[in-house]
Amino acid sequence: MLTYDVVIVGAGGAGMMAALSASEDKSLRVACISKIFPTRSHTGAAQGGINAAMGYRDASDTTEQHFKDTVKGSDFLADQDAVEFFTKNMPSMITELDYYGVPFSRDGNGNIAQRPFGGASSPRTCYSADKTGHVILHAVYEQCLKHNVEFLNEWFLLSLSVEDKKLNGLVAMDIKTGDIHPIKAKAVVIATGGFGRIYWNRTTNAINMTGDGSAACFEAGIPLKDPEFVQFHPTGLASTGILLSEACRGEGGYLINKDGERFMERYAPEKMELAPRDLVSRSIETEIKEGRGFGEGIEAYVLMDLRHLGEEKILQRLPQVRELAMDFEGVDLIKEPVPIRPSCHYMMGGIHVTNYETCSTPIAGIHAAGECACVSIHGANRLGGNSVADVVLYGKFAGIGARETARKRQFGKEEPLLKESKKWERRFHSVREKETGTSLVDIRNRLAEAMWNNVGIFRMEDEMADAVKTIDTLIHEYKDAVIGDPAIRYNMAFVNYVEIGNLLNLAKAVALGALNRRESRGSHSRGDYPVRDDINFLQHTLIHKKGEQYELEYIPVKITTYQPEERKY
Amino acid sequence: MEQIHFRIHRFDGKKKWIQTYSLPYEKGKTVLWALTKIKDELDPTLNFTSACRHAICGSCGVKVNGNSFLSCKTSLDEIMETFNTTTLTFEPLGNFEVIRDLVIDWEPKVEKMKKVKPWLLADEKVQKENGFKQSEAEFQRISSPTDCVLCGICASECQQLSVNDGQYFEPFIFNKAYRFLVDSRDNQPKEHLRPVLENDLWKCLHCMQCVTQCPKGIDLTDEVAFLREETMKMGEMNNQGARHAYAFFNDVKKKGRLNEMTLPIKTDGLVKTAKTKIPFAYRMVTKGKINPFHFPKEVQGIEGVRKIYKHVLEQEAKS
Repeated sequence: MLTYDVVIVGAGGAGMMAALSASEDKSLRVACISKIFPTRSHTGAAQGGINAAMGYRDASDTTEQHFKDTVKGSDFLADQDAVEFFTKNMPSMITELDYYGVPFSRDGNGNIAQRPFGGASSPRTCYSADKTGHVILHAVYEQCLKHNVEFLNEWFLLSLSVEDKKLNGLVAMDIKTGDIHPIKAKAVVIATGGFGRIYWNRTTNAINMTGDGSAACFEAGIPLKDPEFVQFHPTGLASTGILLSEACRGEGGYLINKDGERFMERYAPEKMELAPRDLVSRSIETEIKEGRGFGEGIEAYVLMDLRHLGEEKILQRLPQVRELAMDFEGVDLIKEPVPIRPSCHYMMGGIHVTNYETCSTPIAGIHAAGECACVSIHGANRLGGNSVADVVLYGKFAGIGARETARKRQFGKEEPLLKESKKWERRFHSVREKETGTSLVDIRNRLAEAMWNNVGIFRMEDEMADAVKTIDTLIHEYKDAVIGDPAIRYNMAFVNYVEIGNLLNLAKAVALGALNRRESRGSHSRGDYPVRDDINFLQHTLIHKKGEQYELEYIPVKITTYQPEERKY
Repeated sequence: MEQIHFRIHRFDGKKKWIQTYSLPYEKGKTVLWALTKIKDELDPTLNFTSACRHAICGSCGVKVNGNSFLSCKTSLDEIMETFNTTTLTFEPLGNFEVIRDLVIDWEPKVEKMKKVKPWLLADEKVQKENGFKQSEAEFQRISSPTDCVLCGICASECQQLSVNDGQYFEPFIFNKAYRFLVDSRDNQPKEHLRPVLENDLWKCLHCMQCVTQCPKGIDLTDEVAFLREETMKMGEMNNQGARHAYAFFNDVKKKGRLNEMTLPIKTDGLVKTAKTKIPFAYRMVTKGKINPFHFPKEVQGIEGVRKIYKHVLEQEAKS
C-alpha cells in the first residue's frame, strides 16, 4: 500500500506551500497529489495582488491597520485572533516569496510596489502587473522542483478514510491509468480550492473548481463553516462568467437594460455605475428578474456599453479588457456593447479549521488551507488582495502543522482504508458499465439554475426552500446518473461524475446555511431580512453531514479587539 | 454557413482513429467552446484538458489544421477564415506523448526542464527573511519571460524538436533558463547556462514558429540568440555553433558577403568536412550549384559594412 507521512491534496498556491514546508523535514515522506498539472491551478488566475503591510508606499501603514480593515471588510464575522495572526505574518511572507524568485513589480526605491485596493485604508497590495497569482504559482512550483517534492499529478481524491475522529488515509485515482489506490498517511493537508462551480457557467472559477477536498472532509465528518457566504463580481462575461475588470465601470462604462435605460439610476442615482460591487450585482439581477434583461433564464444578461469613451481611451486605458471581450465573448468594445452578468467569484466559507496556527480540523490528522478552508479570516466578505495572501500564508502554516502532526501521530488502521478503496473500485466498475440513466450534464445545469436563481445574489426564504427541494431531487436522480464512457484510462467522464456529486452535497450546504441565516451580512443579502442582526447571527454557521442528514449548529465569533459597528465606506 | 465540421484525432492507449462531429454554427465562439459542446452534447468519451478559460492556466493547447493554439482564446470564426474552410481537424500538440485523445503527458518535459535548474539561485548569504532590491528596469527584463504559462505550444511548433533525438530543449525550457539568467537576484548564471549549451542550444533553426504561435508573445528566438551570446561570453567558443557564427561574422566583415566554400571548414574543421561534406560538395559542383574556384571579392560599399561593424562593436563596448 502507498504510504506517506504527509499527503497534500491540491497543488495550487496553498498546496504547494504546504508541500514545501512539510518536506523541510527530510525524514518525512511527503507527496502532493493534484488532479491537474500543478501550474494549471486556479491560484494562477488571481490578477490584482497580495496584501501585506510592508509600508513601502505608505510608511504609516501597519499590520494593525490591515487587521482592522480585514475585520471591517468581513462585516465582523471573521475570527479576530486568526486575522491578527494572518496580518502580522504577511510582511515576512512577502520577503519569503521574493526569496523564492517571484517577479514582483518594483517602486522607484527598488522595493516591491504596492497599489490601493478596495476596502484598504492604505495602498498595501503588492503585485506583479496584472498577473500576481500566476507568477506566485510558478515560483512556488519552481521551489518544489528545487526541493524534489514528490508530485502525483493527475491523481484525483475520491474520499478520506476516518474512524473515531482519526484519519487512516485517503483513496485516490491515478487518472492516467484508472487505478484506484488506498494511501496511508499520518497527516493530510486539504488544499483543493473553492467550489464556485455550483453555479456552473455563472462563475469566474476554472472549470474544475468543484470542491473535491471540501466535499471529502464534509463526508468524513468535518463540518462546513459559513458556506452561505459567496462573493459575486458584478461584471462577468454573459456566456462564460469570465471576469471583466472593475476598471470598466471605473473608466465610465454604462450599464444598459433591454429598454435602453441606464438602470443604475433607479438604484444609486448619485453613484450610478460606480456604486459598490454588491449593490451593482443586486441591481443587475433585479433588472433581469423583472424582465428588463436580454435573453432568458440562466442565459439572461444586461449590456455594458463603453462606446462613448471612444476608441482612443478604450485602447489606452482598457486594452486587456478589450482583448478579453474579443477573445471570450467575440465582442469589440469599441464597436458594440458587451453582454455581462454577475458571476460567482469566491467562497468565504469552507472546511471548519479549529486552530488558526496549524490549520487543524476536528479530525486528528486532517489540516486544510486556502479557499477550501474557513479559518475564518474573511468572515462574511473577503477583501481584494487577501485571497492569494491567505493561500500562501496558511498553506505554509498548514504544512508546518501537518509536519508536526506526522511526527506525533502513528498511522491509522489499514482495514477501513482498504475497504473504502474497494468500495470505489466497485463504484468505478458499475458506473462505467451503466448504459442508461439520467444525464449528468442535465443534473449539473439544473443545479446551477436552481442555485443561481434561488441562492444567488438576492435571497428569499421561499426561493431558497425551493432550491433545497430541487437539490434533494437532483441528489436522488444522481444515483441513477450515466456517464457514457466505459474506458478505464483517463476517464474524465467519471472524474466529472464524482465532481458533480461533490457539487451537489456542497450546494445543499450553501442553500441550507443561507436559508437559516435570517439577516443580511457581507455578501449574504436577503430581501426578507435586509439588515444585519448581531443579536442572533453574530455567529458562525456549522453544517454537519451525517449520512443523508444535514445538521446545523452555530458557534461564537472570536472578537478580541474590534467591537462590531455599522460597516460604512 | 450552417454547420461546422470537426475531425478529431482519437487515441485510447492502443488504437488511433479519426472521429467526425458537426455542430450548428454560432457567432463569436472559441475552439474550447466547440470541444466542450461536443463532450457535453455529442460524445462524453472525448477527452481534452482545460481549466481557467482565459489563457492563464496553459491547459488547453491543441493543434487545429496543423497549427498549435490555446483553444480557449482562439476564435472559430478567425480560424475558419484563416484556413478558408468549415472543416477543422483537431490533433493533440506535437512533440508530446499522447495519453488519450487530445491529452498529452507533461511528466517527461518536467524531468527535462529540471536540468536548467529552473529556480532562483541567490547568493548564499541571502536568507528567506531578507528581501531583495530590484530596480524597475531589472523587473522589466524578467516580466515577459515570466508570462510563460507552460502551455507547450512552442514545443508543438518546434521544427528542431520534431527531428531531434530528444536532447534538444523545448523552447519553454530555454525561456526558463533565460528568465533566471537575466534576473538580477540570481547570481549563478552558469548553472542555468551550461545545461542549455549541452542540450543543443545552437540547433535552433530560427524558423520563428514558436514566436508566431506563442499565446503570450514571448520572443523566444531572441532569447535563444541571447543565450548563445552568453555562452560565448562564458568562453564557450570551441563548438560547432560558435565557430559557425564567427565564420559568418568574419566573412562578412572582410568581404561583405559569405564564402560558402570555406564556411563548413571553419565550422567543422578540415578533417570533419573532408569526411562528411565531400560527396555532397562534389554533387553540388557537378550540378553547377557551386564553383570551387570562385573566391568572392569585396562587395560594393564594403566601407558601409565596416562602418556598421565598428558602430555595433562600439555600442557593445559601451553597454
